Amino acid sequence: MSRTSLAVACGAVLRRDLTLAWRSRGDIAMPVLYALIVATLFPFALGPEDALLQRIAGGVVLVTVLLAMLLALDAMFRSDIEDGSLEQLVLAPQPLALMLGMKILAHWLTTALPLIVIAPLLAGMLHLPVPVMGVLMLALLLATPMLSLLGAVLVALTAGTRRSGMLLALMLLPLCVPVVIFAAGAVAAAQQGLPWVAPIAWLGAALVLALVLAPLACAAALRIALDA
Amino acid sequence: MSKWIPLWLHKLGSPPTFYRFAGTLRPWFLALALIAGAIGLYGGLVLAPADYQQGDAYRIIFIHVPSAWMGLFIYGVMAVASFIALVWRIKLAEAVAMESAPVGAAFTFITLVTGSLWGKPMWGTWWTWDARLTSELVLLFLYLGVIGLYHAFEDRRQGARAAAFLAIIGIINVPIVHFSVNWWNTLHQGSTVRILGPSRISMDMLWPLLTMMVATKLYYVASLFGRVRVDLLELEGGKDWVRRIATGEQAPGERA
Repeated sequence: MSRTSLAVACGAVLRRDLTLAWRSRGDIAMPVLYALIVATLFPFALGPEDALLQRIAGGVVLVTVLLAMLLALDAMFRSDIEDGSLEQLVLAPQPLALMLGMKILAHWLTTALPLIVIAPLLAGMLHLPVPVMGVLMLALLLATPMLSLLGAVLVALTAGTRRSGMLLALMLLPLCVPVVIFAAGAVAAAQQGLPWVAPIAWLGAALVLALVLAPLACAAALRIALDA
Repeated sequence: MSKWIPLWLHKLGSPPTFYRFAGTLRPWFLALALIAGAIGLYGGLVLAPADYQQGDAYRIIFIHVPSAWMGLFIYGVMAVASFIALVWRIKLAEAVAMESAPVGAAFTFITLVTGSLWGKPMWGTWWTWDARLTSELVLLFLYLGVIGLYHAFEDRRQGARAAAFLAIIGIINVPIVHFSVNWWNTLHQGSTVRILGPSRISMDMLWPLLTMMVATKLYYVASLFGRVRVDLLELEGGKDWVRRIATGEQAPGERA
């Protein structure tokens, strides 16, 4: 298989998924609205003291983004399974892991990127200091692709089941504990004026590992789930 | 002789053979587990001296620590069986992996409960976000995820394969969680609580602990054999050998 045909196939999958997402723009807005509402609930639940909100801001934004992504994950392969285009992708001569990587990229662009864009707003609502904002954005930029990749593997595993929403949370949350710890650790360290490079470097290393392994695992999981 | 063992192992992989094999051995394992458990508990709760620092409250260690060991050990067994199930698609390995999960989850749950019962008088709190406690909790969630995924499928074998895959992803995650949680904990405050610390344990306390460890292992094998037997019967529901057992007929090769 020539290199150009592979690139064309990747581009086609990416363009198709982005077009489909753009056709239903309302769905893209949902995780953003969800994150906004959850972040708004914290001051109501904990009281509006600036000092308290400032201390928890980084963690709250991270967990909120994680939950919003979790909600959107369930739909990652849903419509493709229903209309049978996922089987076509499995049967295609191109490597399945690469095609799924493109789908994960499209999902990240449509779900995580809007969340990252509004993250400063969420953090600002909770009085996160402006100098820390950069570290939070960096942590989110590294953490959200990890969640997309890990989530894609688990969504692929549940592809053969009817309802998977709650199950997905049960499976994903233990796996993303390290991601949350390192991302929140970087923000907390920056807030205390400590060096924050080490946790960011760990996140980056984990992301590289996930980028290589997760699409392969996703392809294997999908083959398990689809061959009934 | 050299050919006999692989042949026997090969035969053992077939459901009817394993069903009979497990049925014969299970009562022995269960009896040995009960005897070892009784000896271990008597040694731990009655014979062992009280701790110079913790008094009698430390005696929960004889339940707590063997359960904690089993929680991790069974996860390892489950992951290895899962790997075998995924690579060679052996029905028995799938059953072993999936029936290990509830036993492992139960031991992990016992560890968490006895740990919190022990924590209340010793540290004055039921729960603290200590590294060890948190990784144990994540381990329980991993077990629950595997069990949940297994039961989410209508087709049992497909569910077993998907859950086996999750178990393997989980075992990559166990050390990562362990170290990241340690790291997270030391950033905020030093881990002030130690369960045993570097203190050397006296022989009077060590032998009941080791006996309990053997007892929990034997109990796990007995429990696993029983569960796998039931699982195989359900899985092979329509097959001839199951029908023979159900109608009380003699299976071929079985001596009464």
